Amino acid sequence: MSLLAMNIPALHMLAMNMLALHMPAVYSQTLPQYADYIRILPEIVLSIFGMIVMVLEPLLDEKQSQKLPGLIALLGTLAALGATWFMAQSPGLAFWNMVQVDSFSVFFHALIIAIAAVVILSSYEYMAVQRIRAGEYYALVLFGVVGMALMSSAVELVLIFIALEISSISSYVLAGFRRNNAASAEASLKYFLLGSFATAFFLYGVALMFGATGSTNIDLISKALRAGPIPLLAYVAVALMFVGLGFKVAAAPFHVWTPDVYEGAPAPVVGLLSTGPKAAAFAVLLRVIFVFHVPGMLWLVWISAALSMTLGNIGALVQNNVKRLLAYSSIAHAGYLLVAFAALPALGTSAVMFYTAAYAAMNLGAFAVVGHFANAGERYVTLEDYEGLGRSSPLLAATLTIFLLSLIGIPMTGGFFAKFYVFSAAVKSGLIWLTIIGVLNSGIGAYYYLRIIVMMYMRESRKEVPVTRVPFALAIALATCMAATLYLGLFPSGILQRAQEAAQQFVLHAQPDTPASAGVLPQSEVR
Amino acid sequence: MKTDDLSSIILTLVTFAPLVGALLLMFLPRRDRDIRIFSLVISLLTFVLSLHLAVYFRRGQSGFQFAVDKQWITTPNIHYHMAIDGISLWLVVLTTFLTPLCVLISWKSIHGRVKEFFILLLILETAMIGVFTSLDLFLFYFFWEATLIPMALLIGIFGHERKVYAAVKFFMYTMIASVFMLAAILWLYAKTGSFDFVVIRDQIASGAVPNFAAAAQWLFLGFFLAFAVKVPLFPFHTWLPDAHVEAPTAGSVLLAGVMLKMGTYGMLRFNLGLFPEQARHNAGWIMVLALIGIIYGALVAMVQPNMKKLIAYSSVSHLGFVVLGIFSFTQAGLNGAMFVMLAHGISTGGLFMLAGILHERRHTYEISEFGGLASPMPLYAASFLVIVLASAGLPLLNGFIGEFLVLSGAFQARAVYGILGATGIIWSAAYLLWMYQRVFYGKVTHPVNNSLADLTGFEKTAVWPCAVAALVMGVAPIVWLSAIDPAVHAALMPFAQVVSKVVGP
Amino acid sequence: MNPSLNLWLIPVLPLAGAAINGFFGKKSSRQAVTTIALFFSGAALAMASWVAMRFSSLSLPYHEFFAHWIRITGFSADFAFFLDQLSLVMLLVVTGVGFLIHIYSVGYMWDDPSFYRFFTYLNLFMFFMLTLILADNYLLMFIGWEGVGLASYLLIGFWFTKDSAASAGKKAFLVNRVGDFGFMIALFLMIKHFGSLNFAQVFESVKPMGAETAGAGLLSAIGLLLMVGACGKSAQIPLYIWLPDAMEGPTPVSALIHAATMVTAGVYMVSRSHLIFERAPTALMVVAIIGTLTAFFAATIGIAQTDIKKVLAYSTVSQLGYMFMACGVGAFSAGIFHLMTHAFFKGLLFLAAGSVIHAVGGEQDMRQMGGLRKKIPWTFWTMTAGTLAIAGIPGLAGFFSKDEILWRAYQASWVYWLVGLVTAFITSFYMFRLWFMTFFGEYRGAAKSAQDQDAHSAHDAHSGHGHGGIHESPRTMVIPLVLLAVLSVVGGYVGVPGSLGGSNRFDKFLGPVFHGSAPAGANHSALGEKGASEQTTEEAEPKQGASTELIFTAISVLAALLGLGLAWLLYYRKPQLPHRIADAMPGLYRTLVHKYYVDEFYAALIVNPLIAGSTRILWQDVDRKIIDAAVNDAGSAARHASEEARRMQSGNLRSYAGWIVAGSAAVVAFMIWMWTGSR
Repeated sequence: MSLLAMNIPALHMLAMNMLALHMPAVYSQTLPQYADYIRILPEIVLSIFGMIVMVLEPLLDEKQSQKLPGLIALLGTLAALGATWFMAQSPGLAFWNMVQVDSFSVFFHALIIAIAAVVILSSYEYMAVQRIRAGEYYALVLFGVVGMALMSSAVELVLIFIALEISSISSYVLAGFRRNNAASAEASLKYFLLGSFATAFFLYGVALMFGATGSTNIDLISKALRAGPIPLLAYVAVALMFVGLGFKVAAAPFHVWTPDVYEGAPAPVVGLLSTGPKAAAFAVLLRVIFVFHVPGMLWLVWISAALSMTLGNIGALVQNNVKRLLAYSSIAHAGYLLVAFAALPALGTSAVMFYTAAYAAMNLGAFAVVGHFANAGERYVTLEDYEGLGRSSPLLAATLTIFLLSLIGIPMTGGFFAKFYVFSAAVKSGLIWLTIIGVLNSGIGAYYYLRIIVMMYMRESRKEVPVTRVPFALAIALATCMAATLYLGLFPSGILQRAQEAAQQFVLHAQPDTPASAGVLPQSEVR
Repeated sequence: MKTDDLSSIILTLVTFAPLVGALLLMFLPRRDRDIRIFSLVISLLTFVLSLHLAVYFRRGQSGFQFAVDKQWITTPNIHYHMAIDGISLWLVVLTTFLTPLCVLISWKSIHGRVKEFFILLLILETAMIGVFTSLDLFLFYFFWEATLIPMALLIGIFGHERKVYAAVKFFMYTMIASVFMLAAILWLYAKTGSFDFVVIRDQIASGAVPNFAAAAQWLFLGFFLAFAVKVPLFPFHTWLPDAHVEAPTAGSVLLAGVMLKMGTYGMLRFNLGLFPEQARHNAGWIMVLALIGIIYGALVAMVQPNMKKLIAYSSVSHLGFVVLGIFSFTQAGLNGAMFVMLAHGISTGGLFMLAGILHERRHTYEISEFGGLASPMPLYAASFLVIVLASAGLPLLNGFIGEFLVLSGAFQARAVYGILGATGIIWSAAYLLWMYQRVFYGKVTHPVNNSLADLTGFEKTAVWPCAVAALVMGVAPIVWLSAIDPAVHAALMPFAQVVSKVVGP
Repeated sequence: MNPSLNLWLIPVLPLAGAAINGFFGKKSSRQAVTTIALFFSGAALAMASWVAMRFSSLSLPYHEFFAHWIRITGFSADFAFFLDQLSLVMLLVVTGVGFLIHIYSVGYMWDDPSFYRFFTYLNLFMFFMLTLILADNYLLMFIGWEGVGLASYLLIGFWFTKDSAASAGKKAFLVNRVGDFGFMIALFLMIKHFGSLNFAQVFESVKPMGAETAGAGLLSAIGLLLMVGACGKSAQIPLYIWLPDAMEGPTPVSALIHAATMVTAGVYMVSRSHLIFERAPTALMVVAIIGTLTAFFAATIGIAQTDIKKVLAYSTVSQLGYMFMACGVGAFSAGIFHLMTHAFFKGLLFLAAGSVIHAVGGEQDMRQMGGLRKKIPWTFWTMTAGTLAIAGIPGLAGFFSKDEILWRAYQASWVYWLVGLVTAFITSFYMFRLWFMTFFGEYRGAAKSAQDQDAHSAHDAHSGHGHGGIHESPRTMVIPLVLLAVLSVVGGYVGVPGSLGGSNRFDKFLGPVFHGSAPAGANHSALGEKGASEQTTEEAEPKQGASTELIFTAISVLAALLGLGLAWLLYYRKPQLPHRIADAMPGLYRTLVHKYYVDEFYAALIVNPLIAGSTRILWQDVDRKIIDAAVNDAGSAARHASEEARRMQSGNLRSYAGWIVAGSAAVVAFMIWMWTGSR
């Protein structure tokens, strides 16, 4: 909680200003109605279950405390999914236009909560194996998810910030959950310090934006920005927000923390970190980039995307620690995603949404396997440990292989279509060179995923690595991820149409002009 | 009547029969013998099915046949569009013909992980057939990439000493090259809103594609690079010897027999089909590369101490003929190119099987390890000689027809190309006969070789079909050409206009 | 309209024999193999003679379509057959001599372990040779052309356990490929300009063309390229090198393939294409020069050879040179005439030589022979006939044909004639040298023959014989000798020139093929005197007078006798003289013994550089050190970059914060710049 403390003054000051300005507006509003609560129902449900877990946890003995909370948490996520459906029935604004429920936010709600469910499933036995007293773990996961979910539906910068903090803080704690492990603690600390550092940037961005446009409401801001010439403040504001969000999604040059943290944090948590907060952050970034639509952002994104892809892939080439390797890979994937941000809003948005979904499926799966294989104390996480896995436990190896192929972007997997939509969006928007950098990267990237496959199938295991049989919950988790990966690879239309509908509604805010018209897109890029 | 309702689904059957077989195989218990028999049955079934194509194919028609076109994915607009013409027909049959032989040749030679091996083999077959049958660019790319993994695994799991290096090199080299094709495909889709080969071709031809002129050259190169690496065209060939030397016999057979043809097929179908003008403009240096490939490949092959490396480099040389023929834009050249593809598939496939047979007995490919083998294993020597002569382009065997047509085509296009290419017939005879002499003639130099067993039953059933095919193709090429010629003729149609454009002021 | 002769059967019959023996010969008995082989080659002969009988009733040339082969838009070549006087002659020679040699081989190869393989190859050769002769288009001819090359490859390397044999076979095939390369290019030219390879179409489109006065031209190019092919197949300079080595093969093979039939394919092909050559004086001149040079050059080598078969081999090369000389001066029919007689006497000589070798147990070195006259009388007498024939002793086959050629050569240019005459002298010298060394004096090999057995047991199939001392060959070998001897004696009378009271029936028979085909408005100067060849011979002879021709005949006979005399002096009268001469001029002698070092020359100039260059430069440098290295370097470079990239992850918190600050500073700065840019 110390972090809030750190940022309290800024936040307070901002709130004051806000009230001062909006006073009449706020009071002219009636109190929140029934509908308003429906529109944050998933968050409510999740919080309630989170609290139940926390309250219940001390009452349980060592044995139960491993399982029961997980079960409850799982129920919570399922309930939240139901709530999301319920929420989807009543789209619209809530709480004085701070929350917006539309198919965009519904999409991300569903995605994030599903991620949480899978994470909980894959943590179910992991906790026992790592001998971690799991009560608050599940609670933190649920609270974190509340924050992420809220990020996707909040249309009010301050609320977004608060949601961001909620999710961040819980993830800081989660990162350090292998208490008896130094690396884990270090990871947690680094993540915490750097994270708060970065979120501070975001906050100042918000403040400047408020200064520039006199509002923190996304809709009003975009209107204001379109009204006249965009002031310098707005430019800087957007830049700072980009820094904050860029950190969350591990985009270059704000990616440096990723390998260390991913290496230290518990595997299932990494699964969560690399998907949930990213999805949320990307949702926000979509608003910041496409709704605010400050010219020049395109180029910022362009460069950051190219950098992330390249640095991520290059960095991963010679990694021998699988978790670090996947960390780099997540940097690279952030890069691919950013490519879509440089594209036309209409195309980019849906591409991003699809990508986040596909990426979540394959990455969660990969980390689930890694987590299971790592065994007690995460002892087995180097490439050498994977030698001959194809022989010792073919099924596990095959599963991992599918996820890796999907990460490479081989046809028939979600990863392929994810890349495909992103790049075709980019090409349609005339970003040929960025596309070429992208495809080249995905070519080079194939190498290090391939290395794992090579280890598993083409090398005989030199040292004895115990492979415990896959427990039930994990099996379900893996099955889910696998199913999702293949489904997205074979019949992407379904999800994509959802994404496009969402994008349609979403893009209503963004003006329909092309990046090409956004001032600086030179003809050289169209060629 | 029966054929009519078949003809709509036959391509699907042929393409996916092996995949279904592979899936079933996954659930089969690990009894190696059953697995072998099962996969043999599946591959033979596929072959029989593919014969239906050859039999009911309407020769003398240039268009696509047995077409099936269904929407697969709505956004993007991807169709399950499959059809074959005279060009792809025989490549499909070649694939289905070689696969059962691969199963047979692997019968004894694969011991560990038999199940995985045959699963991969069958998956590979489906992917390769798919490459030849799919007319939707997306579907094509899908199968194109899909061939990589099983082949890489075959090399990497069942290969020899440096298998991992070879597998990774093969995978990365082709993967990186093919992403450029992906970029080009994406561009085309962005501008035309379709992946359908026919649609895109017509749009380009009618000039309906916005700022195509600016991008055409790059698109052409994007496709060409992916194909050139696969062929492999000099100087993109160095992955081939490594891959071949390390690969298991069946892998080499399919790699040389079919996968290399995917590259030349792609050039013929897409580089010529979609970008006739660019093809025409770039033909010059491409033909030069092809010629270098022919001569260089042959000379390097000549001095290889390793039998498989020799055959691998000979493939570089032979595929050079194919590229030369394709970019000669002459009727003879293209017919010849197609025929060389098929002939090379048969003869080099056969050569690799024979090399593999020797490797099983002596666990080496070093030519110096052999010598005088004609005495202990006469049948083997005889079969080897037939295949060698076929590969050396002896008349009445399959190699000659193709090379002759290609060279006469190249000669018509540009005399000096034809002449330089024709030196290939000297080189090929040189390296093949020299190799044959060192392996089979003279006295037996290594005592172990005295006791080498001659061809076994399985090996006969695997090798002799190739020899027979080589002879039949050489004596009655009309059977193949009658289907190829119209398709080729159609493929050359756009060049009539191009010529007028180019020649015009 | 012609009745169908089913010509296709003629080549296919031997093929069937080859197939049967090839598949079942291994299991079946020698008798069975013999029956099959002889039956099918005999059947071919029978069929050929039947065709010959029907010949007069045919309207020539006779075409016969058998089956489609290659058919694509704009080009087609079929399995179709063609018969005229020229191909009939060849047909009879090949089937006739071929059949005789089949019979001979039965005896000669009887003890060879792979008896069946020999006859498989032999029948296969017959198939290809007959295809070559009967082809209706150049491409089908090319099949035969390469096919006989294959057969010769297999038969030269028949005793493949002997490295020299294997190498010789390969050498033959490769050198022939070099020739075929030229042939192919010629075909491409025809396709490009005539759009077809059918004799009919090609010649139709050639006929109206005038003679190319200028050196270069389409027809000259085609002609020269065809000649390249002919040089390969018919062992002419510079591609003759394979033929002497080819003697590694069993002697019947040398007789059939490397004397009587295959090596003459070049002559046949050139004569077949005479319409082209007649319009390409340059090409024709080249043919004449090459022929003349080869004739002389090879003959000189023949002098110093001690291996009986090598002597005959070089004599073959030389005689082929005569034939090309004839073609070169436009006397195609004379060339074919010599081809025929040569087939008889050279086939005979080889078979007889084989019989000698057979008798002395595989010994081939004439220095180990001598005095065999009494021991093997049949062989002696038949060989004598052959020797007289080739030496050009009046009345025998070789006399007439060679005389014809020399006379025509003189009409073209006296140089050809002079060289030809000297060659004739040398020929008769080395042939009688062979004759004396082998059959006269006293036997010199007895001592060593014993241990020589082993040396040659692997080589020739006679380890069984020879031990029992020197002996005459079995009947199966003698009968063909006798028959061929008869032919070598009387064979010439079909072509007795007018000057000798004959009417050169042979020339008249071939008339329809060659006469009246000279280019429209061909001016003689352009064609050299050759223009006089065909149309003018009739009126030319009375003009220059039979007397002149008789004088020339006398001169050449004199040359032959001189050769005989010299041989008699050196190798019968004073056997020690040759050594003194050799010692007197060691340089020349060694040069001749080493065949002018031509093989060494080729090895040093072409073969070795090629192999060394391919190994060191192309493979090890270009392929490994440059191309592949580049590929691998790309990989290692990426790995290196990776190491660099990971430096960012120092693990140090402050540096991380630094990165973030730096990054955000850059971002902000960039956006500010953007802002300035936007206004």
